[in-house]
Amino acid sequence: MRDRILRVANWLLARIVPEPEREPLLGDLTEELELRSRASSASAALKWYLRQFCASAPPLLWVRLTRIAWVSTTAVALLAYIAVGVVELAVNWLTSSASASAPYNPLGMLITFPMVVLIVHFATRLRRNAGIVVGTFMLVGVTAMTLWGTESVPLWYRIAYFFAGPAAAFIGSVLRWSRPGREAR
Amino acid sequence: MKREDTLGSLEHIVLLAVLRLGADAYGMTVRREIETATRRDISIGAVYATLVRLESKGFVRSQAGAPTAERGGRAKRYFHTTAAGQSALRTTHEAIVKLSGGLKGLRYT
Repeated sequence: MRDRILRVANWLLARIVPEPEREPLLGDLTEELELRSRASSASAALKWYLRQFCASAPPLLWVRLTRIAWVSTTAVALLAYIAVGVVELAVNWLTSSASASAPYNPLGMLITFPMVVLIVHFATRLRRNAGIVVGTFMLVGVTAMTLWGTESVPLWYRIAYFFAGPAAAFIGSVLRWSRPGREAR
Repeated sequence: MKREDTLGSLEHIVLLAVLRLGADAYGMTVRREIETATRRDISIGAVYATLVRLESKGFVRSQAGAPTAERGGRAKRYFHTTAAGQSALRTTHEAIVKLSGGLKGLRYT
């Protein structure tokens, strides 16, 4: 029974532990389990092993997740894209309530542009390629809106956003890359 | 002082354990050293996650040892501190000493 529990726990742990740490970590656990089995009882050692298994899983999963670079880059880019959307909505709301004109006006775009540069700049500080992903999100978003959107957005606004959005993302990325100092991952 | 030069509390403890153990610093011994010194129950997963982070920061380096029978034929991974790691330890220690200096009711033996 004990051997079967250990085999299952080892098998599960081997699935969780990142590859470079797998062999040494499982070896460390086996070595200490043997030491504890000799020093106390086998059941106490097994309890210790299972406690170790449960407590080790979350930090090891986190290590594994952070090693998948594209997951964190996409997550940062997605957050930046949401931030851009919130800023755009707020600026459109402010400019339309101030001038009592249509929600889509050049003033709103002029204000939004540097803010997008700033947001992408910060995103690129966290993940080097986040700016490129944000720019791609913007291109895909505007294209999807143009093809399938039901809202009557002026054509000039769509065309301007098609170029201005990715351009702002590009400038934000370049600003970060041209700064000396520690490189983002 | 750059942010990367200072250590988090677990990083600090793990790096000190690696330094204390010297040539015998590998996952199990580091975990046991921390448990003995701090009476803190720490998981091997947390130790490895911290060692991986320290290695990515350039504060420790690792090398594989030979596989042994008592480990089920698995090799050890030995860790040792780098010059940058020792400098980070000094920086963190100085910060702690400065912050705790002159505090009433806090005495170090």
